[in-house]
Amino acid sequence: MTSNPLRDPRDRRLPRIPDPCALVVFGATGDLARKKLIPAVYDLGNRGLLPPGFVLMGFARRDWGDGDFEQLARAAAKDHSRTEFRDDVWRRIADSVRFVPGSFDDDNAFDQLDATLVDLEKSHGIAGNAAFYLSIPPAAFPQVLKQLDRTRMADSAQRGGWRRVVVEKPFGHDLASSRELNTLVDSVFTPDDVFRIDHYLGKETVQNLLALRFANTLFEPVWNSNYVDSVQITMAEDVGIEGRAAFYDSAGAARDVLQNHLLQLLALTAMEEPVSFDSQSLRVEKHKVLWAISIPEDKAAFTVRGQYEQGWLAGERVRGYLDEEGIPPDSRTESYAAVRLGVETRRWAGIPFYLRTGKRLPRRVTEIAVVFKRAPHLPFAKTDTAELGHNQLVVRVQPDEGITLRFGSKVPGTAMEVREVSMDFLYGASFTESSPEAYERLLLDVLIGDRTLFPDHLEVEASWQVIDPLEAFWTTTTPEHYRAGEWGPRAADEMLAREGRTWRRP
Amino acid sequence: MTTTLWDTNGGDIMKALSAERRAGGAVASGLAVTFVTVVDEKNIGDAERAATIAAQAHPCRLLMVIRRQIDTTDRLDAEVQVGGRLGPIEAVVMRMYGRLTLHSESVVLPLLAPDAPVVTWWHSPPPDRIATDALGVLAERRVTDCALAPDPMAALLGRAEDFAPGDTDLAWTRATPWRSLLASAFDASEATARSARVSAEEGNPTAALLAGWLAARLGVPAEVVTSSGPGITDVEIVLAGSDEEQTLRISRPDGRSATFSRSGQPDRELPLLRRDLGDLLAEELRRLEVDEVYGEALSQATGVGGLGERSPRRTHVWRDPALAEAAARTD
Repeated sequence: MTSNPLRDPRDRRLPRIPDPCALVVFGATGDLARKKLIPAVYDLGNRGLLPPGFVLMGFARRDWGDGDFEQLARAAAKDHSRTEFRDDVWRRIADSVRFVPGSFDDDNAFDQLDATLVDLEKSHGIAGNAAFYLSIPPAAFPQVLKQLDRTRMADSAQRGGWRRVVVEKPFGHDLASSRELNTLVDSVFTPDDVFRIDHYLGKETVQNLLALRFANTLFEPVWNSNYVDSVQITMAEDVGIEGRAAFYDSAGAARDVLQNHLLQLLALTAMEEPVSFDSQSLRVEKHKVLWAISIPEDKAAFTVRGQYEQGWLAGERVRGYLDEEGIPPDSRTESYAAVRLGVETRRWAGIPFYLRTGKRLPRRVTEIAVVFKRAPHLPFAKTDTAELGHNQLVVRVQPDEGITLRFGSKVPGTAMEVREVSMDFLYGASFTESSPEAYERLLLDVLIGDRTLFPDHLEVEASWQVIDPLEAFWTTTTPEHYRAGEWGPRAADEMLAREGRTWRRP
Repeated sequence: MTTTLWDTNGGDIMKALSAERRAGGAVASGLAVTFVTVVDEKNIGDAERAATIAAQAHPCRLLMVIRRQIDTTDRLDAEVQVGGRLGPIEAVVMRMYGRLTLHSESVVLPLLAPDAPVVTWWHSPPPDRIATDALGVLAERRVTDCALAPDPMAALLGRAEDFAPGDTDLAWTRATPWRSLLASAFDASEATARSARVSAEEGNPTAALLAGWLAARLGVPAEVVTSSGPGITDVEIVLAGSDEEQTLRISRPDGRSATFSRSGQPDRELPLLRRDLGDLLAEELRRLEVDEVYGEALSQATGVGGLGERSPRRTHVWRDPALAEAAARTD
């Protein structure tokens, strides 16, 4: 690979393009495939990032031919693609769309899938490379994996190319089940060929967090317990459970969001500098942080669960959680979770990390706020600085991607008066349109084989080690209530007030 | 959103720009680059559209300079916009008349965003010597477009003779999709090349640069042959196979989609669109460091050597068209 004479590290214009390969989507007619995966494939094709030999293959329980799936894929790409839909781009992709009908317990269907993959060598010059995307409910994982194992489709050595598998969250529902799942996946594929998608890690702003911390000299010196007072990580959603009732009610906010997205954001915020930017070094540092997370002794005081009641959100009346379709009226599942974690390292000892996530909060926002300590001595009269709070550095993950720095500034006038102001770095209103969707980036990374942005099984297990004791404690409690359209239950405010802090309004 | 200033001066433009910024609130913070565009009046629509597309990917301050006739009274008209029809950018469009056209940098210099890199783009036939245009001298990155010259191949040679690291040409940018496809073809192959051939319509500088790049990277002869177009229609590389000769070929007869063929493998169709100006500019603004690979391709295509060793800095060379005319008369 390195011997390609046309590639030159100085040549920054040439994009990375995967080898000829096939992308096999299980659950190809599902929501994720239609709204994210297929549009991402189209966008990659439109940007010229797909290899000359590329095949999109669908597998689902429909009595369909290639043409039917092509119709669905075309509609999906047209409705949801980020870049402009162009017929001639789609035509090239359409020529390489295949569909294999069948259910997951149907041996014949998998044999046919295998045969179709083998045929691609002749028809598309694809020498055995294939990525399997499991866009299916976790309960179906074992069946599909066993089929892949039986047909030896997962065996890269035998197939003469690479074989990779992409798994979506949830990675189990607790430590034991995630270990079981990991063992199963790793026994069928080699661990290096397993890609666990946490789409948050594909977002530009999250990657920019690493650039911010490790490419600059300005922030790293104050990025520790000497200067930082606390860290608040928020992921708020204004939507409810959106037709995912069965899954959501069995999981809850902590398993759905806290375990993966929020802990990953915490890891990137708190980790030490990796020795290099390759996936191995990055993982080593993320493991260290995740293992160093401590959970509160007094869980009643420093964890809060909430469930939304009916209320008004953005000018519309919305139902309460218990009235949502498919939710049992006596459900004790939380739609909001807040927790105070610690990171037991020299850098972070004693600094609280407040994590919160919830549904039906006033607006959709994800951000990391690093709150700094107040100056130990202020040479101003007390009244002069009455409006001066804590300096803050806020990484806005979405929306309005960018960074805000809050600091005190003199109010113009004859009196000395200091008030907080914000300095904003915005990626720019339209900039986000041209920066790739998370799925686009991650899909490309899978096909290229770059594992930097994918958590491995140790990270997943370390995350469950944080969540499991909380879940165990919560089985005996009922969630607090909050009105839809407010920033979570009052108990969450009290949790911070107990330590003299308040939540930042994102 | 827009302030129009007639018969104005640089100081008033500065004031109008900061007033617009204040009125616009937090629009377009995080300026990454100042983008100076030198454009003829007839191309201004094109240039604005392209700059708008490029600005979506790269928040910038756009300074558009239109030099009108020189033999008239000195005058400066300007239009200042923040976040208006040109997208999420700050834009100043300046029309200059009279002797001021020779001193346009006096207006532009104070308008450059503090400490941000400057890219100058000529949406007109490239200057024969960039050093004679002060707007090129003050830029870190200079973008020309040989395809707009009356004789593109002569212009390309001119670019090589005048080259300094930091120069680049849109003719080269147009080659990126081709280069990307060719490079990925070699990713999956162990074969070495024996010769290369690029077919394009006559006088296509992109074809010359593409052939230059192939020759420089593969170390084999690469020729350019004439076809009926549009643009580049075909690239063929002969590979040194074990016994019989193998070829790798990408042909694009219609300017939209390409056929990728390789001996012993089925043909494949792929999209290979000719990109519009905005996309080309967005690519240029993406990376602001010196493009050494372009220098090598240009050197190979024109036979002018030692491009990489030249100084990236130019010193402004004063050239007065009035004096040149006078000199011509006395000859």
